[in-house]
Amino acid sequence: MLTRVLSTALVALVMLVVVPAGDAQAPIKIGVIEPLSGPVAASGNYVRMGAEIARDWINAKGGVNGRKIELVIEDNKSDPKEAASAAEKLIVRDKVPAIMGAWGSSMTLAAMPKLEEYGVPMVVETSSAASVTKRGNPWVFRISPPSEMEALGLEQYIDKLGVKKADFLAVNTDWGRGSIQAFGDMLKKKGVQVGAAEFMEQAATDMNAQITKIKATGADTLFLTTAVEQITLVLKQGQEQRLTRKVITTGGSSSPTQLIKQAGAAAEGSYHIVFFMPWFPEAMPDGKLAKAFVDEWTKRGNPFEGLTEGFRGHDGIATIVEAIKIAGKDEPKAIQDALWKVSFTGVNGPIKFEKDGPAGKESGQSKPSIFVVQVRDGKVALPDFMKK
Amino acid sequence: MIARAGLALGAVAAVTAPWWVANPYHLHVLIMAGVFTILALSLNLLLGYTGQLSLGHAAFFGIGAYTSALLSLPPLQWSFWLALPAAALASGLAGWGIGRLALKLRGAYFVLVTISFAGVISLVSINWMELTNGPLGLPGVPPPSLGPWTLRTKSAYWYLVLATAALAYFVCHRLVGSRIGRAFVALRENEPLAESVGIDGTRYLVLAAVISAAMAGVGGSLYAHYTRFVSPEVFLFSYTVTMVIMVIAGGQGTLAGPVVGALLFTALPEALREAMAWQWQMLAYGVILIVCVFFLPRGIVPAIVATTRRTDRAAGGPPEMRSGSVGLFKKRRGSDSRS
Amino acid sequence: MDQLLQHLVNGLVLGGTYALLGIGLTLIFGLMSVVNFAHGEFYTLGAYAAFATLALAGLPFFVALLAAIAAGAALGALTERALLRPLRGHSIDTIMLVMIGVWIVMQNAELLAWGGVARSIPHPFPTAPLSLGPLNIAPLRLFVVVTAAVLIVLAWLAIQKTRLGTAMRATFQDRETAALMGVPIARIHTITFAFGSALAAAAGALLGPVFLAYPSMGDLASLKAFSVVILGGLGNFAGATLGGLLLGVAEELGAGYISSGYRDAVGFVAIILVLLFRPAGLFARAERIG
Repeated sequence: MLTRVLSTALVALVMLVVVPAGDAQAPIKIGVIEPLSGPVAASGNYVRMGAEIARDWINAKGGVNGRKIELVIEDNKSDPKEAASAAEKLIVRDKVPAIMGAWGSSMTLAAMPKLEEYGVPMVVETSSAASVTKRGNPWVFRISPPSEMEALGLEQYIDKLGVKKADFLAVNTDWGRGSIQAFGDMLKKKGVQVGAAEFMEQAATDMNAQITKIKATGADTLFLTTAVEQITLVLKQGQEQRLTRKVITTGGSSSPTQLIKQAGAAAEGSYHIVFFMPWFPEAMPDGKLAKAFVDEWTKRGNPFEGLTEGFRGHDGIATIVEAIKIAGKDEPKAIQDALWKVSFTGVNGPIKFEKDGPAGKESGQSKPSIFVVQVRDGKVALPDFMKK
Repeated sequence: MIARAGLALGAVAAVTAPWWVANPYHLHVLIMAGVFTILALSLNLLLGYTGQLSLGHAAFFGIGAYTSALLSLPPLQWSFWLALPAAALASGLAGWGIGRLALKLRGAYFVLVTISFAGVISLVSINWMELTNGPLGLPGVPPPSLGPWTLRTKSAYWYLVLATAALAYFVCHRLVGSRIGRAFVALRENEPLAESVGIDGTRYLVLAAVISAAMAGVGGSLYAHYTRFVSPEVFLFSYTVTMVIMVIAGGQGTLAGPVVGALLFTALPEALREAMAWQWQMLAYGVILIVCVFFLPRGIVPAIVATTRRTDRAAGGPPEMRSGSVGLFKKRRGSDSRS
Repeated sequence: MDQLLQHLVNGLVLGGTYALLGIGLTLIFGLMSVVNFAHGEFYTLGAYAAFATLALAGLPFFVALLAAIAAGAALGALTERALLRPLRGHSIDTIMLVMIGVWIVMQNAELLAWGGVARSIPHPFPTAPLSLGPLNIAPLRLFVVVTAAVLIVLAWLAIQKTRLGTAMRATFQDRETAALMGVPIARIHTITFAFGSALAAAAGALLGPVFLAYPSMGDLASLKAFSVVILGGLGNFAGATLGGLLLGVAEELGAGYISSGYRDAVGFVAIILVLLFRPAGLFARAERIG
């Protein structure tokens, strides 16, 4: 009798101690910093939607290391100061072991000192400035291509595209300027003449002055680097001014579907560098995954035009989760070490980090796949020279 | 009396902050509040005391930040203790420029000049790549160092910001109580009358602009060495708007107003960040602002002062007069009884 | 030479839109002395109203314009009644702060309601531009300029020739006397604010299809509107119109001949220069001090 009572008590006691310490069943938190308000709110929200799909897929499969993941999402309001504050809050208050962010290069750069201060890794999913991985911050791992890599990706097609003289029109931010620099260097190497290099403010809606100047250079190609809203405006205003030349957009934020919807005939014939082709997902390195992503995205009622940016959110979260799996625990330093061992295929393609930056303090840079598509007959198609 | 007690309590709390503050993130918020206190105090000099609104104040903040950053980065690599006064000088110079430009302008015209000036400076910072590195910004601004010690920890930086803010407050306090301060107020209340008794409006406006700008430049320098990254976003109009909110909601023309405003409106967005999802944060901020202005149209500090006056009157007079003893601290009354 | 003409045409079209933004604000800021930071938000409201009417309800363009004007007037009246009337008599800075709050609330409400994605507003005009020699202008833009001009003339007539307009002018010239003469002061304030906001909304409905509709489109609009109003003289219709045109042309020429990066800077420098030499704005009416 006594033994029975004692053993029951013992079991109860053990359960009291063991089960709550299944606090190891608490979800793993992953921080996300994106511009959810302000001029680029659309892009930030697309990335968020992609991240949420990744979270739900991973949790449906049981999570990672037996635990579910939870996204703690912060808005950086398109302001570097807010990006830094958000990073600090995520690390100190929410105790996230890893972060994905922060979209714009200046926002990412502003948050980077916090990563070093507290020793927490961040996967950079969109920023394109070279300096992000060259500052000697070993907590930075980028899966998006810097402008130089993008330019290299296009190099092989320059002759096929028939570019002899090109102008540039870019948004006046680190992204636009970096793009002009990188593509300009690449074109000069190929012996292509560079005409005008014009800029537009991020919030500008009237680019007629720049278009008038560009018309006068006699070039055959226009490289355009900005977000889809401004691309729409440039194409429409170009049409109004009868600008007839090849347009190539860079940066991957051109959302050709949205362009066709909003610019209509003005978008006809334009080329676009993208990092995801939701119109023919089977052509992506992991065709099945890409197709599943597109289907899930559409099922959720998310706008189709957001796919060209939304995939970044998915790949960013998937990368972090892969690292947590390898590390075996959700501890920042362990995740940082594990990120170097990551090698898997995301929606964009293979993700594996190489060393980049000053020796001893390298950041991680993956080599993403780069694609070129064209708008033909009001639809997105693979350019002839890309068809195998 | 309440004011004295409040001030003492606040001072003790501020000095001991690193100990009782819950975590480094809150200390981060306090540091930003400290920087904005300096900025709000500087704007208050123009807006509250001379009555001229500067909607380009972010320009002075940004000039200070950029100057300090550029001087302390390679190739010059000046010490922070030299870069800070240089930043104040650069901003002060800009303030002088504005003052001279605006010369005969008052009211809306002055505001427009300040907006235009800030706009030009902002565009220069984005386009003059050789100097400012344009939109790519200036990363890696070094923290202040003194000999072998570097102020890298938050606590150390907090004391630096606290000391500077206290100094800024002191400067404002002395200025306001001096002949110059009275001239400012006279100009604000009735410029033609002030001029008729020999107060040169333009000269005092320029002086106010210079001091105000220099102070904002100091704030900019502190910001640059704390966040260690300066980009053209420091010139965003939203920073100016934030400063304006802090000064007016706190209570323009008072000394405590900008301090209270800065603390409140730095803490508010962060508190909202913790309290609700990102979609609602700014909406709540706007609603709270409207409610605050609606119920306290003259500002928070004047409302508190008015309440204490009323309770004093109800009790038979201010404490000094009630008990019959002579107050230890004589209250100074200027032409404007708000202090 | 061709380029110059095209730049001029571009500048005039742009300036026409600035003028439209300015005339609404010159009533609110010039006459009522309300530093209306939310003016750009009524512009945005108009654009979204047009979007809702055209893209979602599929109604014709003129209905969209009317819908925008109605929305602007209604929300403007509401704002005045609820926030400005109780605060009448308080300092101009307090009022300014309330309008900053309204600005924040309206913009974030729009973000919440419509999302951050820019919306393209469909319009019935052909996209092929009209060509006059070396010049090109889109039919839509021509329509916008013409409609803007018509609206400006209508507004001017309303203020100069109608009883309501006279009452408005009387109120802002001399409140006490107007009140003594039986003018319903409070209602005039509401109507004036609604009128100015409706004009801003109309501008949004006209310009929305030219560009795109997105929540932060009003920020730049507000800033330009203030510049135009102050340059042209507070409360001065003709001044706001001319100021808008001049600003548009100055920006366009600056972007074309100096540098596209510094485009807005040209406008700002022009403003500073004007104020240096004409401290009371382009159309001074003895507003100088000191």
